[in-house]
Amino acid sequence: MRRLGQSGTRLLSSLIPLALIVLAGGFLAAALVRYSPGFDSIPEDLDPNISPATLRALHEKHNRENSLPRFYAHYLGRAAHGDLGISENLKTPVSELLRERAPVTAKLIAMGTAGGWILGGLLAWMAVWTRRTAIEAAAFSITGLLLAIPPAVLALAFFFYEAPLSFALSLALAPRVFGTMRAILGECYHSPALLAARSRGLPPASLAATYILRSAAPQLTALMGMTLVIAFGSAIPIETLCDVHGFGSLVMQAALARDMPLLCGMTLVITLFITLVHTAGDLAQR
Amino acid sequence: MFGADAPRELRFCLGGDPKTFDSLHVSDQNSEVIRYLTGGVLVRVDRAKDQPRPELAESWKIADGGRTITFHLRAGLQFSDGTPLTAADVARTFNTALDPKESSPAGDAFRSTGKVDVTVVSPRDLTIRYAEPKPDIDRLFDQLSIAPPKPGKLPASAGPFFVVEYKPGEFVRLARNPHYWKRDSAGKQLPYLDSIRIQVQPNRDIELTRFLRGETHLILARMNPENFDRAAKEKPAAARNLGASLDSEFLWFNQAPSATVPEWKRKWFTSAAFRHAISASIQRDDLVRIVFRGHAHPGIGPYSPSNRFWFNASLKPLPFDPKGALASLAKEGFALRDGVLRDRDGHAVEFSIVTNSGNRAREAMAAVIQDDLRKIGVRVNIATVDFPALIERLNKTFDYEACLLGLVNVDADPMEQMNLWLSSGDQHSWWPRQKTPATPWEARIDQLELQQASEPSRALRKKAVDEVQRIAAEEEPILYLVNPDYLAAISPAVRGVEPVTAPPQILWNVEWLRLE
Amino acid sequence: MKRAIHTAAVVFLSLVVLCALFAPAVAPHSYDRQFRESPNAASSREFPMGTDDLGRDRLSRLVYATRVSILLAPAAALVSVLVALVMCALSGARSPVADAAIGGFTTLSLSLPWIFLFIILRALLPLNTRPGTSILLTFGLMGIAGWAWPARIFRATIRQMLESGWLLAARASGIPPARILLVHVWPHLRDIAIAQFRVLIPTYILSEASLGLLGLGVAEPLPSWGNLLTELQHPGRVQENPWLLAPLVLLMLVMIALETLQPVREVAS
Repeated sequence: MRRLGQSGTRLLSSLIPLALIVLAGGFLAAALVRYSPGFDSIPEDLDPNISPATLRALHEKHNRENSLPRFYAHYLGRAAHGDLGISENLKTPVSELLRERAPVTAKLIAMGTAGGWILGGLLAWMAVWTRRTAIEAAAFSITGLLLAIPPAVLALAFFFYEAPLSFALSLALAPRVFGTMRAILGECYHSPALLAARSRGLPPASLAATYILRSAAPQLTALMGMTLVIAFGSAIPIETLCDVHGFGSLVMQAALARDMPLLCGMTLVITLFITLVHTAGDLAQR
Repeated sequence: MFGADAPRELRFCLGGDPKTFDSLHVSDQNSEVIRYLTGGVLVRVDRAKDQPRPELAESWKIADGGRTITFHLRAGLQFSDGTPLTAADVARTFNTALDPKESSPAGDAFRSTGKVDVTVVSPRDLTIRYAEPKPDIDRLFDQLSIAPPKPGKLPASAGPFFVVEYKPGEFVRLARNPHYWKRDSAGKQLPYLDSIRIQVQPNRDIELTRFLRGETHLILARMNPENFDRAAKEKPAAARNLGASLDSEFLWFNQAPSATVPEWKRKWFTSAAFRHAISASIQRDDLVRIVFRGHAHPGIGPYSPSNRFWFNASLKPLPFDPKGALASLAKEGFALRDGVLRDRDGHAVEFSIVTNSGNRAREAMAAVIQDDLRKIGVRVNIATVDFPALIERLNKTFDYEACLLGLVNVDADPMEQMNLWLSSGDQHSWWPRQKTPATPWEARIDQLELQQASEPSRALRKKAVDEVQRIAAEEEPILYLVNPDYLAAISPAVRGVEPVTAPPQILWNVEWLRLE
Repeated sequence: MKRAIHTAAVVFLSLVVLCALFAPAVAPHSYDRQFRESPNAASSREFPMGTDDLGRDRLSRLVYATRVSILLAPAAALVSVLVALVMCALSGARSPVADAAIGGFTTLSLSLPWIFLFIILRALLPLNTRPGTSILLTFGLMGIAGWAWPARIFRATIRQMLESGWLLAARASGIPPARILLVHVWPHLRDIAIAQFRVLIPTYILSEASLGLLGLGVAEPLPSWGNLLTELQHPGRVQENPWLLAPLVLLMLVMIALETLQPVREVAS
């Protein structure tokens, strides 16, 4: 009971900083857009077909809230009711865009991360468990090679040869998982408890579940958080270059179009995601 | 990604989302494509013959020296939702376009300093009366789509297609208008196509890949030369070079007094001799051969040679003559010493060229120009910035020295470039929004532009526009570099295509297109 | 065997760094010289790797590109590690509130759309900025933007140390916080900082390559691995001219060599 109370207090004490970080993230994103060069420009400024009067009117229509604190205060007020504003570029509610795009990116990240863990974990297992130098060298070479290729280049190759992009992400993440998993497995392999269990003839699956996963759970949780964040960061160039209609390509579009409501809304969501991941990792490690 | 194949669905890509489906508020190219495909217009300019022909209007009469136009509509016209289309709808659309509160870009071509009267004579007849003559007034109606009485997110239309589905950032789908008035000679209702699916695809390489895979039927926007050559190699029957487009790529120097440019630099930029010398030192043939892989023509002036009527045929491309350039610069007090060109006060001639990032052709052009000018001792720095930031520099802060940009001409008529040549124009690139013309030649161009804007005789307009081009060649406020060819890709499965260089190049007769 | 691989990696990296440092002597031509009669030329004696679409020698551009990426990536990594150390030093030995604030700041830093900052940087730079200055600023921004990852690791390490008996004893005996940091904490943190520095170098090389692919990298005509890799967006081109893969192959070999030099423990952290 006391443990539950302590956990609850820990959780609550994590939620307040989480909320502050998310709010600060949205404000900074809005500030970046507001004070970026070209905020007030519209493409029609360079169109000789348009009369000066029409151009002035288009600017008036395009006129955004110039006061950043006022904009953000109104924005948060609406966001509290689920209204994240209307994308200035796509003329669609931001919440609708996020609802449509989030599953695409979530699928890419989920499958990419799962594949990365399976491949990285398998290579790490081979490198440690087989105790063969040749296999260890092969595992190192494969991961070294994969680490050397920019994820976006991998994704482009997969795109042009019509292979699943999530697999490209898996190949990009696998080396990052490999390094940590190899270290964890290496430490566990030499632990007295595991040696004793192996000498009693326990099968590898039992050894993995009882002696490795359990003891390395905090590190694995932290690693999962890290790979999720890296996967999310890799999603931006992958989606932009490979024509995937997900979060990543939307971020790029919003940035290039100086779309304040969209970028603000997206940053709130992204900050929430990353903060939750880090908070979970920190709690697990404690 | 494109869903199950419909038997007669044309598919292609646009470089971005259309900003609006409201035909009266179209100001971007993507929306203009949708407007053309869906909009019912009174008159359609036949892009192949460059002649106006009847569309929703069965006939029309221009009278009173170009001040009055009377339209007689076809019988039984309807919008795609079945609502009847009458002269009242035409009047409503026209008045809305002219309404200052609407600020309709479509109305800009129809605006006049004097009063404009619209009279509905009968359900099929209306008259529009201007105080001043309006040149080529009938052709203007090619750009005015008649709006439905009830606006909506996906409005009804009187053209061959109407918008049925739109997913932002993904696609627009158009379906054939079941109430379209046009029939072929056998009496079959047009359009032949059932639907059009337009994918939003900013990446030109992916657009090409999809075309080569057979996922799309054509590439509408002017292809870059490398992609065109690739298409020509893999699908020779599909690649089509339509000749010099109406577009141009050019360079200009910032002459605005409020520019953040040192005064001694501004002196260079405001000197016609300096501009000529720079122009004569740029190898346009290399730009054509290397950057555009031969798919372009050296630029001569504001109008492309393919704009046969308006182009001043007496003008010739400026010859490449760096020696002559240095000689004329020497007369202005410039001297080449130790490989560095200096002005009479000893300042090394160095300036930056800014252009928009992400345009490979422009970045390559800038690199070639940098190399060319290095040979006459001029140092050029290339800066690429994203488009909104570039617009701010060009239009608001004037924080730039030289700019390399292009113009996409949607219409051959000189009215389209009027705001560029008028000294008071917002788009008078080198020095916008002048209160009074800064130079005698700009004053003369102002006179000529205003003259051609109100002259009903095409021949007299042509004379005025020819003189504008001659002055532009003499003074070179804008250094015209190339006119890129219009490079397209059209699947052989698409029949009935008569591609031309005037927009919308491939789709101008969309109601006649068929799929094998 | 391991020693032989280690030695080979050191020799290879040294050769690459030397070529980069002495690029003007190594490269047969200047990176921006245009041989206009030979655009897109195939490999030949004069141009071992052929030329690009403006007739520039690919081999020369690769040598100069290596100089940009291989010299500036370590600089950016150093900036990140230094900023992370400073931030952690400000919080670590003081109070839980300061530590939580730095933690929050770290998370915030990881959440912001840094791509947008690179777009803004390009837009704000004075137009007459030399390409070299522009690339220095780009890597500088990368370094500053990348402080959060090493900071998380330093923070975790410092937190562990704060709970250790020997540090408690040091604090109990009244040693000032600055001395504790420099004399007691830093020796433990040093190896981790060096490890992070080594891990970040390849990360920044790849980041610059990704920025180049998005058009936010080095401006023309200065080459970098990033803008050379943009040519890989056309697989057809690669089939016609396999030398287009040269920057990718070199990047991969450099990365493999760097990975080979890293001890396992460092990779795990």
